[in-house]
Amino acid sequence: MTAAGSSAQGVKTDLRNVVHPRRVEAGLLLMVGATVAAAYGMASFGASETIPADVGPFLFWMFGLGLVVHVAVRRWAPAADPVLVPVALLLNGLGYVVITRLDGGLAALQSTWTAVGVGGLVATLVVLPRVRMLESYRYLLGLAGLGLLVLPLVPGLGREINGARIWASVGPVNFQPGEFAKLALAAFFAAYLVDSRELLRTRLELRDLAPIGVAWTGSLGVMILERDLGSSLLFFTLFVVVLWVASERWIVLGVGGGLFVAGAVVSWQLFDHVQARVDSWIDPFADPKGDGFQIVEASFALADGGLTGTGLGQGEPGRIPFVETDFIFAAIGEELGLAGSSAVLMAFLILVGSGLRIAIRTSRIFDKLFALGLTTLIGVQAFVIIGGVLRVVPLTGITLPFVSYGGSSLVANYVLLALLIKLSHEQRSAEAM
Amino acid sequence: MNPRIRRLGIAFVVLYVLLFVQLNRVQFFGAERLQEDVNNTRGLIREFGRPRGPIVTADGVVLARSVPYDGSVDFVRQYPEGDLYAHIVGYQSLNVAATGLERVYNDELAGTPIGQQLVSLGDLFADRDTTAMLRLSIRHDVQTAARDALGDRRGSVVALDPRTGELVAMWTYPSFDPNRLADPDGSAANAAFSELLSDPNNPLLAKAYREIFFPGSTFKLVTAAAGIESGLIDATAPVFAAGEAYDPIPSGLPIRNFGGSTCGGDLVEILRVSCNTAFAEMGAEWVGPAGMVDAAESFGFNTVPGIDLPSPATSRFPVEFGKRLADVDFYRGVDEARDSTRPNGSVSIHEDSARLAQTAIGQNDVAATPLQMALVAAAIANGGVVMTPHVVVELVAADGSRYETIESEISRIAMRTSTANTLAEAMRVVASEGTARNLFVEGLDIGGKTGTAQLGTDPPNSHAWIVGFAGRAGEDPSLAFAVIVEAQEGASEQTGGRVAAPIARAVIEVFFGVS
Repeated sequence: MTAAGSSAQGVKTDLRNVVHPRRVEAGLLLMVGATVAAAYGMASFGASETIPADVGPFLFWMFGLGLVVHVAVRRWAPAADPVLVPVALLLNGLGYVVITRLDGGLAALQSTWTAVGVGGLVATLVVLPRVRMLESYRYLLGLAGLGLLVLPLVPGLGREINGARIWASVGPVNFQPGEFAKLALAAFFAAYLVDSRELLRTRLELRDLAPIGVAWTGSLGVMILERDLGSSLLFFTLFVVVLWVASERWIVLGVGGGLFVAGAVVSWQLFDHVQARVDSWIDPFADPKGDGFQIVEASFALADGGLTGTGLGQGEPGRIPFVETDFIFAAIGEELGLAGSSAVLMAFLILVGSGLRIAIRTSRIFDKLFALGLTTLIGVQAFVIIGGVLRVVPLTGITLPFVSYGGSSLVANYVLLALLIKLSHEQRSAEAM
Repeated sequence: MNPRIRRLGIAFVVLYVLLFVQLNRVQFFGAERLQEDVNNTRGLIREFGRPRGPIVTADGVVLARSVPYDGSVDFVRQYPEGDLYAHIVGYQSLNVAATGLERVYNDELAGTPIGQQLVSLGDLFADRDTTAMLRLSIRHDVQTAARDALGDRRGSVVALDPRTGELVAMWTYPSFDPNRLADPDGSAANAAFSELLSDPNNPLLAKAYREIFFPGSTFKLVTAAAGIESGLIDATAPVFAAGEAYDPIPSGLPIRNFGGSTCGGDLVEILRVSCNTAFAEMGAEWVGPAGMVDAAESFGFNTVPGIDLPSPATSRFPVEFGKRLADVDFYRGVDEARDSTRPNGSVSIHEDSARLAQTAIGQNDVAATPLQMALVAAAIANGGVVMTPHVVVELVAADGSRYETIESEISRIAMRTSTANTLAEAMRVVASEGTARNLFVEGLDIGGKTGTAQLGTDPPNSHAWIVGFAGRAGEDPSLAFAVIVEAQEGASEQTGGRVAAPIARAVIEVFFGVS
């Protein structure tokens, strides 16, 4: 392309630039499809030495969903970063294969949730012509976020499963409203800080932070009541990170860190289950059959995996409690080895990188802070649970985005992905103009 | 704001690198430690999830096999012969650490060595049974004969082919039933294990190769070998003066013959009657500390024996006998018979030469496993060459083809062939007209040496020993053996011949198929 030709053919050139990412995405999706299909076959072969009978429907279903996402992105966000969708689908596919291998019944549910998630992604792309429209609904979103968080505490509606009261039941469907609350609150934080950031940059006063403080302490308080440590940590980090970037003041990190330590000490003193978590973080082998059991078994599973893994379907990941949800990373490490587990780490880092790139390149403050918030959510959530499994941080039960079994988590993360895709598209189209 | 976002990006990279580093620690660098953790039962569950090769005797009797099990594991180990082979085969258990061949040949039985997995290129694509069957050199008929002959007396029988080191029988009473420990029911297995552990007779211990005893007079074979190797002694000269007691120098309690008898004579004669006074003198005043230590260590004392079973005990001979004092002549006067053949003058007396005199008759700090004493006899029967003892002779694939044949190896040279031959001749005399007469079997070439190791108890108790060899007339001996019956009442030199020799004879008769 010469400089002389660019002005005359400017529009056409830009169009070509806009269409191109979808071709990259299609290529990547084909590779993801082949990888997941091979993994699916191998998992079944490894366990029973037969090619799974339902491999036909599986392939149809998987490529069908991939095609739907691809076509939807092509239609409603054609300029978006081409790696977001393939990486998310790779994580989802890998998780699905491991869940199939662990529990066929759960896999059937998970495939339904995947379809719902893809539906959520498409719906988000269609319903939201501009992500910045959310900015005007900031207080509504803030209230909605809090409302969703409180839902499990409502008598008759909320349900406690495995010691955490984070579930709500509507008819036959159980879901975790908190998974959606985090999206609403991320939008609220971003929108609120658009207005107040100029103020905050010069003076940091509690008065200006009041609404956001209410939202934050309220959500934290609720989650502590629900004994949902993982989400508390996630929200706290989201809030501190977004506020820090918006205000451009280091003191936010200092105060945030101080509050974190204070909160950690207080909850350690108040809650037995926090103490147990910390104890089994420091030395799980002190009580290898009790509190430390899960982490100890996960370590053994990962050690058995070694460099290349036992092979799909040939390990013993079923010995780890909650392996389909919180500990799915250990199952991947066992059966796919260091190679597979590192690939999962890499995938999340790619997602984080793409998300932050959107945040850096976009010029609108709301888009910037929202992209930042969404990226932080996914990056921190993956870090917290993988770090918990690996004993880098104390274990807090939370799903591994896209990989773990869990409907609410999957659907919410697909919506999150749709928002990032849309933001990416808007940023890239604006750049191309 | 963008610089902050970039910093956040760096922070994420740092956090994920941290995860990656920890992942490497768990999955690679620390993996072995985790896999060996006592709480880690994954390896065991895997092992018990697939069948394992059988273990069979030379004559095809199955000693261990995997049988399908409907429970916490898919297969359990069964030992059809019960306690008869527990000390050789050991056990593989979910609850107790494995022992015996089950432990030593764990990988081969499980089929994991690469050599068993990839016999041919086709194995890359086919699912073949890669487990190995262990074929032993132990003969079921001989092993059974050893058990029946020993009966319910505490003791051990070891029998091997001196030409190859292949063990033909190895039995210790009391033994235990390994099926109780292989029980997949954890509480039953643990209860059985604690019960066996607390048994004062320690049935779990394979005393035949894992416990050391005073060898008593059987050790005189080693002293005699040291004497011949020193160049001062042969079958007919010198003639040791007849005496009732040996007064050790520089000082010490006199050493007496059994029953206060008087004996003496040439080497063959003093072996035939097992003359304490003559061997005490030979060790202390003819051979000396260096020669005795050298001879004992040449036979394998003070070295962990090479055997294909776990944790063998090391037989013991003391190596420190104190400062050198003076030549024998200084104490005893010049002895022409001794000094004329020794170019470098006579043997030195050391501070602990009295102790050396006791070790020369297998007392004091000498202690040997029954296996070691069988190897002494085997070395004599095999021209001075000790072969490495072993029980496994081949590893066979499920389809009958052979993975590996265990070659016989020379373990050590105990003495010159001429020395061995002289001793073998003397042992034949002991068996035909000496203390080991009870060994005699018509038509076979047999040599032996008895032993009665006093335990210093009141009333007197002693270990009754017999070691020896047997072969078909005109052929090299094909069997060497050691029998010990522990803590028998009484303490006469007849004890070994009376108590232990008939057991050895029963084994010989079955081995050679005569009676």
